[in-house]
Amino acid sequence: MSYILNRILSMLLTLFLISAITFAVTNILPGDVAMMIMGTQSNPEALEGLRRSLGLNDPLLVQYWRWISGMLTGDWGTSLVFKEPIGPLILQKMTASAMIVVFSMTIALTCAVPLGVWAAMHPNKWQDTTASSAALLGVSLPDFFWGIMLILLFARWLGWLPSSGFVDPREDFLLAARHALLPSLALGLGLMAHLTRMTRATMTGILNQEFIRVARAKGLGERTVVWNYGLANAVGPVMTVAGLQVGYLFGSIIVIESLFNYTGMGWLTYQALLNRDIPLIQASVFVIAGVVMLANLIVDLLYVLVDPRIRLS
Amino acid sequence: MKLPAAFRSSKGLIGAVLVLMILLVAIIAPLVIPPDMATQMDMRARLSPPTLAHPLGTDQLGRDLMYRVLLGAHTSIYIATAAVLMSIVIGLPLGLISGYVGKTTDNILMRLVDTLLAFPALLLALTISAVLGPNLQNTIIAIGIAFTPFLARIIRGEALRVAQMPYVEAARTAGNSDTRLIVRHILPNIMPAVIVQSTISLAFAILAEAGLSFLGLGTQPPDASWGLMIQASRDYLDRAPWTALVPGAAVALTVLGLNMFGDALRDALDPRARKGAT
Amino acid sequence: MPDGSPLVSIDNLRVEFRGEDGPIVGVEDVSFSIKPGETVCVVGESGSGKSVTSLSLMRLVEFGGGRIAGGKLEFARDSGVLDVADADPEIMQQIRGNEIGMIFQEPMTSLNPVFTVERQMTDGLRLHRGLSQSKARARALELLKQVRIPEPERRLKQYPHELSGGMRQRVVIAMAMACEPRLLIADEPTTALDVTIQAEILALIDRLKRETGMAVLFITHDMAVVAQMADRVVVMFRGNLVEEGPVEQIFTNPQQDYTKALLAAVPRLGEMRGKPAPEPMRLVGQSPVEADLKPARKPEPLLEVQNLTTRYPVKGGVFRRPVANVHAVEDVSFTINKGETLALVGESGCGKSSCGRSILRLTEPTSGKVLLDRTDIIAMNDRDLRRRGWRDMQMVFQDPFASLNPYMRLKDQVAEPLMNYGLASGSELKDRIATLFDHVELPRSFMTRFPHELSGGQRQRIAIARALAVNPKLIVADEAVSALDVSVQAQVLNLMMELQSEFGISFLFISHDMAVVERVSHRVGVMYLGRLVETGSRAQVFENPQHSYTRSLMSAVPVADPTRKTIRDDLNFRPIPSPVFPLGHEPGPSEYTEVAPGHLVLKDNKT
Repeated sequence: MSYILNRILSMLLTLFLISAITFAVTNILPGDVAMMIMGTQSNPEALEGLRRSLGLNDPLLVQYWRWISGMLTGDWGTSLVFKEPIGPLILQKMTASAMIVVFSMTIALTCAVPLGVWAAMHPNKWQDTTASSAALLGVSLPDFFWGIMLILLFARWLGWLPSSGFVDPREDFLLAARHALLPSLALGLGLMAHLTRMTRATMTGILNQEFIRVARAKGLGERTVVWNYGLANAVGPVMTVAGLQVGYLFGSIIVIESLFNYTGMGWLTYQALLNRDIPLIQASVFVIAGVVMLANLIVDLLYVLVDPRIRLS
Repeated sequence: MKLPAAFRSSKGLIGAVLVLMILLVAIIAPLVIPPDMATQMDMRARLSPPTLAHPLGTDQLGRDLMYRVLLGAHTSIYIATAAVLMSIVIGLPLGLISGYVGKTTDNILMRLVDTLLAFPALLLALTISAVLGPNLQNTIIAIGIAFTPFLARIIRGEALRVAQMPYVEAARTAGNSDTRLIVRHILPNIMPAVIVQSTISLAFAILAEAGLSFLGLGTQPPDASWGLMIQASRDYLDRAPWTALVPGAAVALTVLGLNMFGDALRDALDPRARKGAT
Repeated sequence: MPDGSPLVSIDNLRVEFRGEDGPIVGVEDVSFSIKPGETVCVVGESGSGKSVTSLSLMRLVEFGGGRIAGGKLEFARDSGVLDVADADPEIMQQIRGNEIGMIFQEPMTSLNPVFTVERQMTDGLRLHRGLSQSKARARALELLKQVRIPEPERRLKQYPHELSGGMRQRVVIAMAMACEPRLLIADEPTTALDVTIQAEILALIDRLKRETGMAVLFITHDMAVVAQMADRVVVMFRGNLVEEGPVEQIFTNPQQDYTKALLAAVPRLGEMRGKPAPEPMRLVGQSPVEADLKPARKPEPLLEVQNLTTRYPVKGGVFRRPVANVHAVEDVSFTINKGETLALVGESGCGKSSCGRSILRLTEPTSGKVLLDRTDIIAMNDRDLRRRGWRDMQMVFQDPFASLNPYMRLKDQVAEPLMNYGLASGSELKDRIATLFDHVELPRSFMTRFPHELSGGQRQRIAIARALAVNPKLIVADEAVSALDVSVQAQVLNLMMELQSEFGISFLFISHDMAVVERVSHRVGVMYLGRLVETGSRAQVFENPQHSYTRSLMSAVPVADPTRKTIRDDLNFRPIPSPVFPLGHEPGPSEYTEVAPGHLVLKDNKT
């Protein structure tokens, strides 16, 4: 129990630091919000007036306090590019992104775990060489290259799936899924390769442990030894790595969503960055870092369920 | 000392050869290829498939893809190497201090590093690049900063592990100063991990640079960059898939070579992978 | 099965492993047999192939990259004799855990950490006996009772990390016994355990063997364990069988030089009785080492440790603040005289290493005084400690593979203290290093080598040379010979005794091995739960132990003499309580009764 409490307290502290770093980084921006709103040709006095009314002349700490208390009370400001309140905008885009993140993680895990275990079962044999080489190639290709290949194959040549756009699943779930499939695959392939490598390494370590030898000495079949005794120990570490990959995914969606014109969180962040929409950049970066941290917290809490050593300490 | 072992596996050898080839290209190409070869527009051969005149085809402006991809090697390798060097220069002292001094210093530094790790590396790099204004130098800074927390974490772990080794304690009682202890005893023993991590980071940096340039927040035209080339190919995919395939393959080969060599290096150097010889 | 026919007969076994440059031979040519109901001990030093032999019998070598390249491994089953060497994998699965049970060295890692004890104990029963879960559970309970685990019902529900090392090994043994195997293979089952727990486990295996009539193949490196356990002994060396015979014959009349040398290198508890001073061991094939270690007529104190206390914080919470303290060393006082050795003995976690480290301030003590030649070490600041403190005392560590910097040449590692303390430079430095190499009996050609080119014993000699370089008055040897093979251990011990008589160095000799301690020490301190429970001269402590803990420790030590069986089934040692206390806990001071001049025994209400 105290473990969980500690993790949550520690998360809140990190969240505070995340907000501070986000604010600090975005405030190095040359040019300011006032100029973004009024344009570069506006007259200096009007500009100064707007600055004063926006509080841009206040000390940074005061500005930070205003921003963070706004974030905490739900007043996230208005996007300069989209001219919309930021809160609902991010919520909507986050939902769109959650769909492809969950899709790609599911695709990656369902393929990577068996593949990695299979490779670890036959170290240095053809099974291992094949799986490991494929995984190595997989981690060596940029996601957007996967994306382009998928577009070529499934959209342009085979014409099975749409190559661009986002459809709200509440309107037409099937169509939404068809639109989400290619971006998810593009994200999932690299992830799958990475997780395969991790699973293989973890399982190789586990299969060299004494308790595996003991299990064999009991006369248990190799299938039980690997898939039962071995895998039960790999669940925790693989889950942790998968959790860490959520961070990687939220980096990759910026590229992939732009490539597929999939209007999710990545696409939104990219628009914010391109247009130097400072309030939107701050909010997006903060939210993404927060979500990534939350994902890791959830993994840590799930770890408690799969590993009695933490559960009972 | 153990380095040659990395070349003994076929994986390490192939990786090393690939990396060496690309390094040579990156260094030699700008010296022997006149810069205008990559910018010269052959208007009669726009989006031309591979021909004798253009062995790897041309892009939408009729520029020769072979020259562009060869010159792009220089940009990619230069940015990636500089960025990784930068992350080592910052991350190595940070990690060493954190691991060696410990206590409050360690707590504060690692809390900071953990916070930075919560930001996806690509997002951090993109934000920094956007904030500073995208150009070659800022791309290096962006990737360098984004990679530093990883490296600092790994070096701290290694420094912690090495600092409590009996040989370091023996060296303390042998009258070594803290500086000498770090330079002569700790640093050499964490170098294997640093080398392995740097190789892997290089691979990631190549990917990151391609990603940044692909989004227009990295290398800017007219510099040739693989990411930019892939970006430009997007609109001509069905007519001229080679415009994407050529730079894509270049990225893949480079990263693959680095990853293969990195894997082999880890197998050969990593003290944790070397255990259990009896 | 006709009477007298063997249960197992191994003929010309040869095992090879895949190596980078072709096959590596693990076992070259080994033949021996095991009769029903007897205990055969296979003994040898590291690399002898003893474990590989036992793994081959289970056909488990294949999982470690090995291959049975030749020979026969005949095992008498009910249905007839089977050659295990080329049996089907399916048949091997029927045999493993059913007809042959096996236990391994590391009880801490032998059990699957994420499954309950019940699950791990019952799956073999369900597989081999086709029992239902409830019947398998009942049998598991019965087995836990048979191996005498306290509160067996509760253990079934527990996970391995909730059990102590000794209990885990009992669970592993119970698991191996589940299907009443006819042969139990025990591969160094007590090497990782403390001596009192070792005694209990050895007694347990011996009792189970007598109760069930199974045969035992016992793999060990420890001649004392062999003497206690074996009916017959097989001595192995570098993949070959050296000698085989009944245990009494091997110990009283060994035929082969290797066996003789091995036996000579083993210190036997009690053999120093009545001797006034430590004596180097007489090793076969080596000229006897001369060392006069008689204590001085007027002893001069060198190291005075007064009320030394060391506590480590246990950190927790978001800000990693101390939440409890490990009381590693608790009010310990003793004196070491010039030119003498004081040994600290005790089981793991008793605080003996922390005590040694605190004296050198590699670990900062919480309170107390350490006087070296009347200079207060604790009062020194970092600079003084580096300039003067360590100039007079040095340390030799346990793990020879971790105590030398892998990236520095040996001569540079030995030269460091000389240069740092300004003791030598230029050509003098070279001479000093060469002399130090001579002192530790290593060829001067080793000077330019790197640590990985040396064996464990050679590395430990370099560590001693490095410690010797500053001409220290005191060397703290923290389990300095524990990781070495017994013949190498004897040589390094002799070297240390020789250096002591030559240079008059004092040693603080920290060890868990009572027999070694008896051999090398002038004075002995027994530690338990951070306290010194008994201290006195070697003769006082070993020949007239007064504290109950000292006595139980002595009774648990196996003796390398088959005519003196110390393994008894009625052993029941008190488990060592936890040394973790809440913040602010202040236990009382250590108070002693002086039973004889210099022989102090802790008054017991304090532990």
